[in-house]
Amino acid sequence: MAPARVSQTELDARKIVGVNAETVTNVSSTDIPGHYPGEDHEWDLEDFRNTFKVKFHKHQPFDCAFSLIGIDASIANAFRRILIAEIPTLAIEYVFVHNNTSIVQDEVLSHRLGLIPLTGNPAGLRWLQQYRKPTDEDPVGSGVQDVNTVVMKLKVECTKADNYDELNKKREDDPRLLYKHAHVYAKDLEFVVSGRQDTFFSGEANQIKPVHPDILLAKMRPGQCIDMEMHCIKGIGADHAKFSPVATASYRLLPTISITKPILGNEAKKFARCFPKGVIGLEEVSRSEAKQKGSGYEGHEGEKKAVVKNTFKDTVSRECLRHPEFEGKVKLGRVRDHFIFMVESTGQYQSDELFLESVSILKEKCASMKRGLAEYTR
Amino acid sequence: MSREAYVAPTSAFNTGTTVDPGPGLTTQYICGDCNQKVLLKQGDGIRCKECGHRILYKERTKRMVQFEAR
Repeated sequence: MAPARVSQTELDARKIVGVNAETVTNVSSTDIPGHYPGEDHEWDLEDFRNTFKVKFHKHQPFDCAFSLIGIDASIANAFRRILIAEIPTLAIEYVFVHNNTSIVQDEVLSHRLGLIPLTGNPAGLRWLQQYRKPTDEDPVGSGVQDVNTVVMKLKVECTKADNYDELNKKREDDPRLLYKHAHVYAKDLEFVVSGRQDTFFSGEANQIKPVHPDILLAKMRPGQCIDMEMHCIKGIGADHAKFSPVATASYRLLPTISITKPILGNEAKKFARCFPKGVIGLEEVSRSEAKQKGSGYEGHEGEKKAVVKNTFKDTVSRECLRHPEFEGKVKLGRVRDHFIFMVESTGQYQSDELFLESVSILKEKCASMKRGLAEYTR
Repeated sequence: MSREAYVAPTSAFNTGTTVDPGPGLTTQYICGDCNQKVLLKQGDGIRCKECGHRILYKERTKRMVQFEAR
């Protein structure tokens, strides 16, 4: 049977997820073989190559937004999940407390240290390997080596400032002025080079350091001190959230708004207010439109009508569906294969790099799946 | 150590543990009020020699303690 011809409008309509006041319709994708009798929907690489599009909306080092157009939800979701949980990053894992007389307990301080996002020479971070912890089956693990462990130190002692008496007389009450190291910040962490790490992490710019130097770790008073050594290892977000390279990685579907019957005058203004700014615009009804019979614009020349300007900004709040005057005049929806990704990095890698990394990890997974299948069917 | 194996110290001279400094040796404490280091011998009154405060703290262990940053 020859493949049936389907019009482009029909194909486009199939891609729209209907958003009603209380329900969502047409949720699942139907472009799979066998769903429509006589239509060929077999996945084709060439076809994908021609239709798939990537569009960047925001491209900052640690915050980017882009669209993947023409991709299935399963793949888009795989990228999102890999971004959150499977890209290895460096974080503090072991804390060796030599002394801690601050009021923050060792456990609490260790936990805080673990959550500090670290950064350093990207080439060096890639060179680092994942540390394998000793387990029952493998009592040695990978061992602590220069390729899998980064050592950091935190040694601070709180003392009175040199001009303490003078400040005290002036009734100064800012502890940061009265005492040295009254506040312990992430910038007090010190990187210790070990082994071959000096080829990557030497110098101020390349060394391992916190992304944000001003994270407050503890507060101290004279006589208190903290002396700790930390081992940072590479891990994945699935193990602990501190290893997740993204602050958020999420996607949404591109909203659609179609005005099916004219919305005019004051109603149009009210309609525009139902959406975020810039989504709905107001335009004058032109003479030719007013002349057209059956358009709904007859006799309304010069009046304001509501037009859809930019659905990208819409939050799909569905506010317009609450008002009876717009009933039957508007249809809301979302494009099922238009994913707007938002990737916000914690600072170890750049956002766009992270997405590419997620692609390569998915590729690797597919390759290992293929190998497994070959093994299984042999 | 089980209950049966425990033998209560009969005299102040053979408590047998390493923590106990024994007679004549001093242990360092920290005053809860003025933060002064206070050296106490066995039998001394528990009192800061500087300010007379009666709450003394033991120093933190000098041993390294390992934690997981989780």
